Amino acid sequence: MSHTQLLQTILEEVKKVVRWEGFDGKRVDEAVKRVLAGIDVVKLHYLENCVGCGACAPSCPYFYVDEKYSPVNKAEEARRIYRKKLTIAGMILGPLVEARLPKNEEDLDRVVEFVYRCTNCGACYTACPFGIDSGALMVLMKSFSTVVGRVPTIMAFLEAVERLEAYKEIPALVNAWKNVVDQINRELGRVVELDRKGSKVLYLPTLIDVISYPKAVVATAKLLDKLGLDWTMPSEPIGIRPPIAVVIGLSDRAKIVLKRVYDYIESIGPEIVVLIDGGFVYPLLRFELPIRLNVKPRFRVMHIVELLVESIEKGRLKLKYVEDKVTWHPPCQMTRRGGLTIEPEYVLKVVSRGFRRLPHHGLESYCCGGGGGIGCITFEFIEAIAKMFGVDAKQLISSDKERRFIEETEKAYKIALKRKIDDIKKSGAEIVVTACPTCMRTIALGAKLYGVNVKVLHIMEYLYDKI
Amino acid sequence: MNVLGSALGDIYSFAIYCYFPVALAVFVFGCVYRILRMVFFWHRPMKAEPRRRGAGAVFIGLIRTFLDPILFSLRYRKWGFVFGLLFLHLLGVIPLIFLLAHHVAFFAYLMPFYSIVWPFAIPLSATSSVLTVTAPIEPYSQMSFTFVNTVWGPLTIILNGDVLTVLALVGTSFKIGTKIYERFVKGLRNARITDILVYAILLEVLITGYLAARHHPPTPVGTDIIVYRMLMGLHVLGASTLLAILPFTKYWHIIFGYWYGKFHEWYDLRVRRGAV
Repeated sequence: MSHTQLLQTILEEVKKVVRWEGFDGKRVDEAVKRVLAGIDVVKLHYLENCVGCGACAPSCPYFYVDEKYSPVNKAEEARRIYRKKLTIAGMILGPLVEARLPKNEEDLDRVVEFVYRCTNCGACYTACPFGIDSGALMVLMKSFSTVVGRVPTIMAFLEAVERLEAYKEIPALVNAWKNVVDQINRELGRVVELDRKGSKVLYLPTLIDVISYPKAVVATAKLLDKLGLDWTMPSEPIGIRPPIAVVIGLSDRAKIVLKRVYDYIESIGPEIVVLIDGGFVYPLLRFELPIRLNVKPRFRVMHIVELLVESIEKGRLKLKYVEDKVTWHPPCQMTRRGGLTIEPEYVLKVVSRGFRRLPHHGLESYCCGGGGGIGCITFEFIEAIAKMFGVDAKQLISSDKERRFIEETEKAYKIALKRKIDDIKKSGAEIVVTACPTCMRTIALGAKLYGVNVKVLHIMEYLYDKI
Repeated sequence: MNVLGSALGDIYSFAIYCYFPVALAVFVFGCVYRILRMVFFWHRPMKAEPRRRGAGAVFIGLIRTFLDPILFSLRYRKWGFVFGLLFLHLLGVIPLIFLLAHHVAFFAYLMPFYSIVWPFAIPLSATSSVLTVTAPIEPYSQMSFTFVNTVWGPLTIILNGDVLTVLALVGTSFKIGTKIYERFVKGLRNARITDILVYAILLEVLITGYLAARHHPPTPVGTDIIVYRMLMGLHVLGASTLLAILPFTKYWHIIFGYWYGKFHEWYDLRVRRGAV
C-alpha cells in the first residue's frame, strides 16, 4: 500500500470517529463508562473535595479569556457525571445536588469547548488550597469528548498515524529523520551505530524533535559524544510525539504506543534513556510509564538538562561563557508535572551572565496556553501538517461546526498566551530558551502577535555552539 | 420529664439530649463511609523511582505545599483571601469552634483530654476581654479559668467571641453573596446551590450563638430564660446539623479533604517528582 493510500485509509477511520453534530446516546453511555473507569482514589478526592472557592481560577491562562474557563468551573463537568452515577444523593436528587449527565448536543459542545480550554499545565493543582488537580479531571473529560466524537480531526489523525506507524511511510518525515542522522554523522566525524544493543545510554529523540529543532537533536548527539558516553539512538523514529493519544484522552491507545516504546528500549537494554522534549513525553516516560504499563523499568529516564547539570557539577563539561540576555521558559509538563524546577536555570546561569528569571518561574511559572493539543488546533498548523503529509487540508476539518470550533479555539489561544508574553517582556530577555516544541511555537506566535522581539530556542539549540 | 430542672420538651433540651447524640452518630457513620469509599477506590500502582532531592527540600516542600496557595490567594484573589480565609476561617470559625471558652468547656466535658486547650481559650464577650487587658485583676470569685494574663496577652481584646463572630458573620455573608452572584448572575456552575444551603446553616449557628451569648433580646427584668434557652437550642440544633452533614458536604474538608489533599500534593509533587 502506498503512503497516499495508507493515509486515505487512516482518514476514513478518523471520519468514523469524529462527529461534531448531533447527540448519540450510545456513544455518551460508552463515554460515561470511560470517565467512571478512570476514577481512582486520588481522582475521587479531586471529584469530592472541591469546595468551589475558585482560588484556582487566576492560575489558568484561559480564565483571562473568559471566567467560565476557570479550572473549577470546567472540572464541574466531570463532577456532575460522577455525582449522577456514583453518589446516592446524585442518583436520587439529580440536578438539585448538581448531578447530571450530558443529555443534548449543547451539553456535548460545552464539554469539548471546556476540554480544549485546558492545557493540563498543573497550575491549578498548586494554587488549589486542597491540592485538587483539575487538569486530571479535564483529561477524563477529554476521553469523554473523544469517545462521543467531539475531537479535532487533526488530533485524531495524528494519533492514528502514530499508532499505526504510518509516519514511517511519509517521505517528508523519513527524509527529515535521515537528514538529521546524516548531520549527526557529519558533525561527529563518524557513523553512529544506530539501535546498538547493550549501549549504556539510549538517546531517544522523536519526530517532533527532529522537525521542530533539528539543531538541538544534533547538539545533543555532540554532547553525548563529548561526554564520552556509550550511546546509541533509534534508526527510525519511535513516534511522532509518543503517545499523542494522551492529548485526546485515550489511555488505552496511549498504552499501545507506550508499550512499543518500552519494548524498543528494553530491546536495547540501556541504563539511561535521554530525552530532549520537555513536553508531556518527559513526565509520561519518567513517571507514568510504570503505572500505565504496570512494569518496573530497569532504565532511568533523564531529560537532557539533568545530564547537563550532572556533567557540569562533576566537572566533566565546560561550556562557553556568554553575556546573552537570556531567560528560561519552564514548560509546564517538565516543571510542574516533571519536577525539573531548578536544573535548566542552573545550566543557563553557568552559560550566560545575562541570564534572568521570568517574573513567574518554577512552580509558579505561567503556562503559555498552547498545551493539551490547543496549540495544534489552528488553521496554520493544520495546513502545515496537511502539506507535510501530502493530504488536502480540507480533509483535516470534518465540518463547518468543527471549523467554527477551531476559529473560537484559536481566538482564545491568542488571548491566553498574552500573559506569558507580558511576563517575558518584563524580564527584558532577548532570547527565550525552553524545551517543549509546543511552548516554542506558542511563544514565537505570541511574540509576533504582541510585538515582542525575542528569539525562541530549544535549550540544546542554544547550547549548540557553546559545548 | 425534667432534665436538670427543665422540661425536655423545650428546644434546648431536645437539641442537647436527643438531637446531638443522633447527629454525632450520623457524623461517625458518615466519616466511616467516606473513608471506606476511598479505601475501595484505592489500588497499589507500580510507581517510578522518586527524584531524590534530600530531606531539607522535602521538608521545605511540605511547608510550601500548605503556604503557597495562601500566598497565591493573597496576590490574586484579595477579596477571597480577606473574607474567605481571614474572616471566615482564620479569625472566624476556627478559633470560635475550637478556642471559645464555652466550647472548650463543652468539648472537655465530652472528651476530657480537650482540657489541654484551656490555656489558649478565649472569652465570650468583648467587654470582659477588654477588662482582662485594661484591668488585669483576678476575679474574686472561684473560677476554674480566668482570662487574665493568658498566652494571648493584649490580643485578647480582639480574640473574643463577640469580635470573632462578627468577622465570621461578615465572611459567611460574603461567601453566600458571592455564591449567589456567581451562580445566578454569572451562570457559573462551580457556585453550587448546596454550598449556599450549607453556608446558610453556618450563618444560623453564628447568629443564634451570638444572640444567645449576648442574652438578646434584653428584657426589663434581665435575661428572658425562655428566649435564651430557645436561642441556645437553635444554636445547638444548627451546630449538630452541621456536624451530621459534615461528612457529606463541603465541610468534609475540615477533618479530611484539606489534609488528604495537601499531603497527597506534597507527596506527588515534592517527594515523588522532586519539584522545589
